[in-house]
Amino acid sequence: MEPILTIQGLKKQYSAGTWGLNGIELTVQPGEFIAVIGPSGAGKSTLLRCMNRLIEPTEGSVTFLGEDVVHANKRQLRSIRARMGMIFQHYNLVYRSSVLENVLHGRLGYIGSLAGMLGRYPEADKEEAIALLQKVGLENEVYKRADELSGGQKQRVGVCRALAQKPSLILADEPIASLDPKSSKTVMDAIHTNCREQEIACLVNLHQVDYAKAYATRIVGIKAGRVVFDGPVEQLTSDITQYLYEGQEHEMFHKAAI
Amino acid sequence: MAVRKIPIAHKATQRQQRMLGISSLLLLGISLYCADLDMKQIAAGMERLPAIGRQLAQLSFTNGGELLRELVTSIVVAFLSVILGVVAALFLAFLVAANTTPNRLFGRVLNAVFVIIRTIPTTIWVLLAVASMGFGPMAGVLGLMFPTVSYLIRTFASQIEEAGGETIEAIRSVGGTWWHVIAKGLLPTLLTAFMATTAFRFEISVAESVILGMVGAGGIGSLLQGYISYYQFADLSLGILMVFFTMFLLEMGTVQIRKRMGRQN
Ligand SMILES: Nc1ncnc2c1ncn2[C@@H]1O[C@H](COP(=O)(O)OP(=O)(O)OP(=O)(O)O)[C@@H](O)[C@H]1O
Ligand SMILES: [Mg+2]
Repeated sequence: MEPILTIQGLKKQYSAGTWGLNGIELTVQPGEFIAVIGPSGAGKSTLLRCMNRLIEPTEGSVTFLGEDVVHANKRQLRSIRARMGMIFQHYNLVYRSSVLENVLHGRLGYIGSLAGMLGRYPEADKEEAIALLQKVGLENEVYKRADELSGGQKQRVGVCRALAQKPSLILADEPIASLDPKSSKTVMDAIHTNCREQEIACLVNLHQVDYAKAYATRIVGIKAGRVVFDGPVEQLTSDITQYLYEGQEHEMFHKAAI
Repeated sequence: MAVRKIPIAHKATQRQQRMLGISSLLLLGISLYCADLDMKQIAAGMERLPAIGRQLAQLSFTNGGELLRELVTSIVVAFLSVILGVVAALFLAFLVAANTTPNRLFGRVLNAVFVIIRTIPTTIWVLLAVASMGFGPMAGVLGLMFPTVSYLIRTFASQIEEAGGETIEAIRSVGGTWWHVIAKGLLPTLLTAFMATTAFRFEISVAESVILGMVGAGGIGSLLQGYISYYQFADLSLGILMVFFTMFLLEMGTVQIRKRMGRQN
């Protein structure tokens, strides 16, 4: 099967001296649900943002459905981004707009500048957006303003926005880091179920190793900008976890406490 | 046991304060010397003050109609310059703000241009406008527009830079265009902040427009200027009162607007 995403020798240098990524090799097959774990500052967010070039990689290649992401021109990049959904830790919603409008933003990659500015979304898109909201249990929040929602609800809107793109790949950067355990489970379930059903590959950064183990089909451990573990959940022994977070136990504890 | 006072102040802060005190005194001395103050002139002026005060206390309503008309002109001049300024600034601010500019260098050059415009006082702009268009409200509108646009651009741009990051990422990540980022992401997010800024700027512009009448921009300022020149203090005091009430009402209004906007946040 042709892979969804292939990353080769990917490097990112921020300013002279700071390397965010240091030669990442990774291949994502269709339908995979990959959890990326690693200590703070390992480069997890940088990796995800290099996939859709919210951050420009310094070196290496990213291939998405056979297309060269790194050298894509403006139009190609737009089309690539339209087919990659992204879920953010801080939800990144447009809080003054309605919940429905926020979900419809997922369709912006498919319509022109003017139509988008005027909010002319096809009726079919609206129906599907509402269906998505119903599916994650937000049928009563459709016309609320996004800032009236709770954190868990906001993130479910974020999930719906990504799904509205009908993507082949979803990138989720710590989608549950700001949520309580109950909301975390709802959100992870929403991502997981939909990716399963619609055969969307998913790359999700997680701080909680137990969540990673519970949902992922495959785990990728990153440390200092390099892949140091890549394998099925069963192979992630406590030794490896310990090595991954070496010298960071204090921080793990701190993160868990938040 | 010897009583020793325990110091509580921060050393560096103390040193800074002392430096500040000394340099202020020094500057005051230099200023007094340079200003070449003539004590006799001050004394003579002081003697005249009560007489002027008495004259100002007699209100005259004979020119009330004219004053009112010109006051409205002053407000209209300010209003037009702000409206036109907002339209221009709304677009230009997105070209200048570091996180939305299509091209960094272009954004910086544009910003530098507006910094220069800002450093030139409003009075100079109005005088230039008067020189090219002749006396009257049009010169006022044009002259006021330069500082208004550059003020609004700076404020809008910093609001965009401060609040934009996450929204911009979101719209970009779905494959939205620059126009989508602006219209669907940033404008809804920042609209109330922009409106509060505009209301505040309108207040400043009215105050400036009143004063600028004195240099030929039309409006109540030119009347007041005339009254002063011909010692018509009774008319002058009515004018001052009217300006005072206008500014007072305006400030109350903008405070209300900003409060409402704040509550929506
Ligand atoms: N905008 C930036 N400018 C400079 N350096 C950066 C920037 N963003 C990240 N870095 C650096 O790149 C490295 C990787 O950061 P990144 O945010 O990808 O880590 P992370 O694994 O997501 O961490 P966390 O788990 O805390 O979110 C860190 O050393 C960080 O300091
Ligand atoms: Mg991160």
